[in-house]
Amino acid sequence: MGYYPHFPVSTQRLRLRQFTRGDVDAVFDYRGRADVALYLFDSALSRDECAQAVQQRIVHTNWAEEGDKIVLAVELSDSSRVIGEMSLIWRDVDARQAEIGWIFHPEYQGRGYATEAARAVINLGFYGGDIHRIFARCDARNSPSWRLMERLGMRREAHFREHARFKGGWDEEFIYAVLQREWQGENQP
Amino acid sequence: MSGLNFPITTNRLVLRPFERSDVPLVARYHTLPSVQRYLARPTRYAEDVAGAVEVMRNQIGLQRPGDVLTLAMQRKGDQAVLGHVSLKWSDATAGQGELLFCIDPAHAGNGFLTESLTAMLNLSFDHFRIHRIFVRCDGRNHHSAKLMQKLGMRLEAHYREHALFQGEWDEELHFAILDREWQASSKVRPLPLRERVA
Repeated sequence: MGYYPHFPVSTQRLRLRQFTRGDVDAVFDYRGRADVALYLFDSALSRDECAQAVQQRIVHTNWAEEGDKIVLAVELSDSSRVIGEMSLIWRDVDARQAEIGWIFHPEYQGRGYATEAARAVINLGFYGGDIHRIFARCDARNSPSWRLMERLGMRREAHFREHARFKGGWDEEFIYAVLQREWQGENQP
Repeated sequence: MSGLNFPITTNRLVLRPFERSDVPLVARYHTLPSVQRYLARPTRYAEDVAGAVEVMRNQIGLQRPGDVLTLAMQRKGDQAVLGHVSLKWSDATAGQGELLFCIDPAHAGNGFLTESLTAMLNLSFDHFRIHRIFVRCDGRNHHSAKLMQKLGMRLEAHYREHALFQGEWDEELHFAILDREWQASSKVRPLPLRERVA
């Protein structure tokens, strides 16, 4: 049991790798922004909080038990510039379920980088981690995020309205999912 | 959240807390495979039923989040116990509640659950001031799914193979309704006319 992938994972334009201590400024560049934090559980982070976050991410590189996370820095192959992060959480060991998530720097949006990185991480989950179903959640107002889920071929499984409180208001949430057998075919690695 | 008076009466039913003497009445349907199929807590044998009734017998109010109120559905007239309905207070800050239910298949299809769940929705929104009520059911349980739609609940989620349930891939539906979407109890109830006293 468990999953200990090898890094970096390279795609056409990107490199997905473990976080290192040198990434604090690059992470602060996007996690420090209010527009990035809008639909995240955290508010915008200070530089110190980013240093702590990076410190935690350095060890999130494998799955040993349920709840473990793999969190990867996404950098441009050419410039080694960090443009965001991807995460894959082992939610259910027996039923082989994982949750995928992403945070990207707004300045690098609209160029298909998130799609490219997400495809690579879904491949990791299905083919490396032998996951049966991968799901993603987002705020219903976060259209760039759910549009990405749709581009990836994920199905909208849930649309919850006012099921919880979120940052002082009612929450509205989408859940998207894809099964391993649905992913095979058009998205073979 | 107290001050609730039992029993709650509907057109054809009395909804009241369980009693020890209900065990044989519950055993008639609770161990049936068709009932077991969708229950989270199985009672395969008659002796398990006493335990289940004991749990339900103590679910008589909502004092704190996580508490469950369970009422037996008893038919007026012949006093037959047809099943039960439960309200679980799942979240206090966001005012969330979950309805759960179970009916003897011999009495299904006669509108008894519609009647009971309507009363439970009234209770949830009017008495307990719940903001949103949801119901979960198995994707294959089309009787439940149709019932939810009949009550005006929206399909909010359709999970596919998201978990293992009784050794199989689970398929689960979530239905929900918000307090402002629930209209039934907003009608003015007719009151007997008062004698005019000058």
